Amino acid sequence: MPVTLRAKCLIVGDSAVGKSALTQVFHSDGAHFPKGYSMTVGVELCVKNISIPDTNDTVELYIYDTAGKETYSDYAQQAWEHPSVMMVVMDVTNENSFMACNRWVERVKAKAGQHIPGVFVANKTDLEGRRVVERNKAEEFAKGKGLEYFECSAKEQNNTDAPFYYLANAYYKLYQERVEVMKTIAS
Amino acid sequence: MFDVALAEAGAQVPIATSSDENFPPENIIDGKSETFWATTGLFPQEFIITFTALMSLEQIKINCYQVKGLAMERSIENEPVNFEPMCEKELCPSDASLQMEEFSGENSSAKHLKFVIKSGYDHFVSVHKVCVNGMASRE
Repeated sequence: MPVTLRAKCLIVGDSAVGKSALTQVFHSDGAHFPKGYSMTVGVELCVKNISIPDTNDTVELYIYDTAGKETYSDYAQQAWEHPSVMMVVMDVTNENSFMACNRWVERVKAKAGQHIPGVFVANKTDLEGRRVVERNKAEEFAKGKGLEYFECSAKEQNNTDAPFYYLANAYYKLYQERVEVMKTIAS
Repeated sequence: MFDVALAEAGAQVPIATSSDENFPPENIIDGKSETFWATTGLFPQEFIITFTALMSLEQIKINCYQVKGLAMERSIENEPVNFEPMCEKELCPSDASLQMEEFSGENSSAKHLKFVIKSGYDHFVSVHKVCVNGMASRE
């Protein structure tokens, strides 16, 4: 019988960077990109199963799409408890959204209280002409924070699945490592 | 007085909230601390041990790893329903060895014991052995 792991994936970042768009494109297998902007209040939850390559196992991702506006973040404090993995999102056309990422990462880390796998996602790469955040700067930040770096466009549905797959696989690997420790401790 | 939570003694684990067939919940009641039940992510996690009959509980011992918040509940019904809280404790972390905790059963009676792992020191925790000293209740 295959194993199903469960992970809570917290998606954070400034408002309007595309957290909900990424979540919805991924969750709908690319069937749905929200064309109009609708601000997330509190938190929205969706669940998706991800198959782990070369196994029959899956990771059930509980994706918590959180509000980027501070006004709403107190609201949803409970949703922030005990994250398993994190996704920090910025908009490549918005320098401030990049500057804010340090605060978002630290906040999630404080909530987690332990190491959790994470990705740093640079969204809206389709707006090449308006891009202000350079790739090497973003990569450097990700590296410094121990996050895997991805560039994507939720609008063009380009590379949007990759960060989610990365997180599911990293979590799966963590489980494999932990049960090895359990075996060693018990013997 | 003997360990009534052994599979050999007829005990069962009818419900557990995680199942990896390599680390099944039956490992909790096989009497060995080398084998274990692993949780597969998120909290709370629960499992129930069902005894062959209504038991009077003297002492409950649990060997586990990375467990933080742990609560126990008991039920005297035939089916595992109507659980009442018994005790709750925050366990100390133990990196290099198993956690070993003892609880007094206070001679209360139970047909089923529910263990609720409310939180952990890691994403995944393991329960290696539960030992319940008790005897068939006269009630």
